[in-house]
Amino acid sequence: MRRRGRLLLGVPALLILLAFLVLPYVDMVTMSLRAPGSGVAYGAGFTLGNFRHALGDPLYLGALARSLTLGGIVAALCLLLSYPVAWHLAHVSERWHLLFYSCIVSPLLVGVLVRNFGWMIILAVNGPLNKALLATGLIAMPLRLMFTEGVVILALVHVFVPFMVLPITNALRNTDPALAEASASLGASRLRTFWRVTLPLSFPGVQAALVLVFVLASSAYVTPALLGGATVALLPSLIVDQLIGAFAWPFGAALALVLAAGMLLVVVAFAMLTRPLAERTSAEPAR
Amino acid sequence: MKLLGAIVLAAIYGFLLAPLLVVVLASLTAGELMQFPPQGLSLKWFARFFANDGFIEALTLSLRVAVVSTVVATLVGGLAALCHRALSRRHAAWFRLMLLLPLLLPELLTGIGLLFLLASIGLGKSLLGLQIGHIVITLPFAFVAIAASLEQVDPALEDASASLGASDWHTMRHVLLPLVKAGALMGALFAFVTSFDMFTLSFLLKPIGGDTLPLALFNYLTYDFDPTAAAAATVSIALALAGVWAIDRTVGLRRVY
Repeated sequence: MRRRGRLLLGVPALLILLAFLVLPYVDMVTMSLRAPGSGVAYGAGFTLGNFRHALGDPLYLGALARSLTLGGIVAALCLLLSYPVAWHLAHVSERWHLLFYSCIVSPLLVGVLVRNFGWMIILAVNGPLNKALLATGLIAMPLRLMFTEGVVILALVHVFVPFMVLPITNALRNTDPALAEASASLGASRLRTFWRVTLPLSFPGVQAALVLVFVLASSAYVTPALLGGATVALLPSLIVDQLIGAFAWPFGAALALVLAAGMLLVVVAFAMLTRPLAERTSAEPAR
Repeated sequence: MKLLGAIVLAAIYGFLLAPLLVVVLASLTAGELMQFPPQGLSLKWFARFFANDGFIEALTLSLRVAVVSTVVATLVGGLAALCHRALSRRHAAWFRLMLLLPLLLPELLTGIGLLFLLASIGLGKSLLGLQIGHIVITLPFAFVAIAASLEQVDPALEDASASLGASDWHTMRHVLLPLVKAGALMGALFAFVTSFDMFTLSFLLKPIGGDTLPLALFNYLTYDFDPTAAAAATVSIALALAGVWAIDRTVGLRRVY
C-alpha cells in the first residue's frame, strides 16, 4: 500500500508502552525474586522465600480470598444495575439519547475519590440517609454505616456501573432488532424472547464487562482505604503497606504477583465456565 | 409494568448522580459542618480552599501534570490511531489491544511495576517519573477516542484526496484532521480528567513533598473532615464541566457521539 509511511506513526506509542508498561511488569517479577534488605528496599541475591512467605501465611491468603470475593460481588451487582440501564440506553429515542448518555458518562469525568466522598456524606451518622430513615420511623437509632464492608461494595458498584453500561449498550445496539421481532412473531413471550434471544446476543459484551469490573474491583486500593477503615483487610492495602510502609519491595512485589495470579485464575475459570454461553452466541448466523 | 420499569431506571440514574450532587451542595453550606442538606448558602468554603496553600500547591501540580499528559497522550495517541487505520485487520486488533493495556491492567499493579523501574533508572520519587506514569495511563483514552472517529471516515475521501495529487501528509492534515477534531477533543478531555483525578498511581510514585490534588484531598478527608474538602471536590467537578462546555462550544457535543 501507498500509505506504508503511516505505520511508522505507531512507533512512539509502542516505545512508550514497551519501556514504561512492559518493562515495569518484568521488573516486578525480578523484584519478587530478590532477597529482602534491611534499611534498603531490597538486598543482594535471589530467593523464592518471598513467595513461600506470601503463600504460607493465612493472613495474606485470607486477604486474597476476600479481595477476589469482593471483586466478584461488585461485578455481579454492577451487572444487575447496568443491564436495565444499557437496555434503556440502547432503545431510547435519538432525542433523549444525549441526555441519558451524559448521565452515564458524567460520573466517569469525576474522580473515584470525589465519588467515594459523596457516599461519606450521604451515609454519615448524621447524614441524609439516617435522617430520612429516622423520620420515617423505620429505625430508632442512627445506623453506623461507614467503615463497613457493605459501604465499600456500594461505593465500588457506583464507581464501576458506567464501565459496564457502555459495553453492554454497544452489544445491544449491534444486535439486529429483527431477531427479537422474529422470536415474538413466532409466538414467544416477551420474557422468553429476552431470555432466549436478546440476552444471549448481548453476552459477549456482558462477559467482557464482568471480567473488566472484576479485575478493577479486586485490585481497587483507594475506595477500601477511604471507606473501609481498618476493619476490612484486603490484599491491595496489605501490598501498599509492604511497599510504602515497611519498604519491603521484594515481598510487596511477590504479594502483587499473588494478587495478579489469583485474578487471572478466576478470569480463566469464568471464561471456561461461560464458554457454552459464548459459543451459543457465536453459533447464531451472522447478519 | 412500564411504570415499574420507569421507577427502577429512575432509581439507578439517581444512584449514579446522587453522590456528585451531594458533594457540590455540601460545599455551598454556610454552616461549620460537612452536612447535607447544607445549612444556608455561602461561598466561604471556596474562599478557605483558595486560601489553603497546601491545596493550591496540589492543584497547581495536578494541573501541570494533567496538561502535559493530555498534550503528549493526544499527540502520541493520535499518531497511533493513524497507524491503526493503516494496519491490516489482524495486526490492527493486536495493536489496539497493546494500546488499551494500560486501561485493562490494574492501575495498582502498573504503579508498582513503575515504582521499581523508575527507581532503577534514577527517576524514583521524581516529578518526571510521576509524569511518565500519567502519560502511560492516559494514552489509551486519547487513542480510543481518535481511532473511533477515524473509523467513521469514509476511506474514499482519502483516495479522492490522493488521486487529486495530495501527498499523504497533506491528506492527513487537511482531510483527516478536520474530520477527527471532535473525537480528538473528547479524547483529550478524558485524558485530562483521568490524569487530574488519578489516585493510586500518584500515591505510589509521588515525588517527595509533592502531593497532587487527589492525594491532598485524601489526606484532608482522613484528618479534617470539613466542607473545605467538598469545595476542593467541587472545583475538580467544575473543571470537568468546563471541559465539556468548551467542547460543546467548539465542535458541539452531538458531533462527538
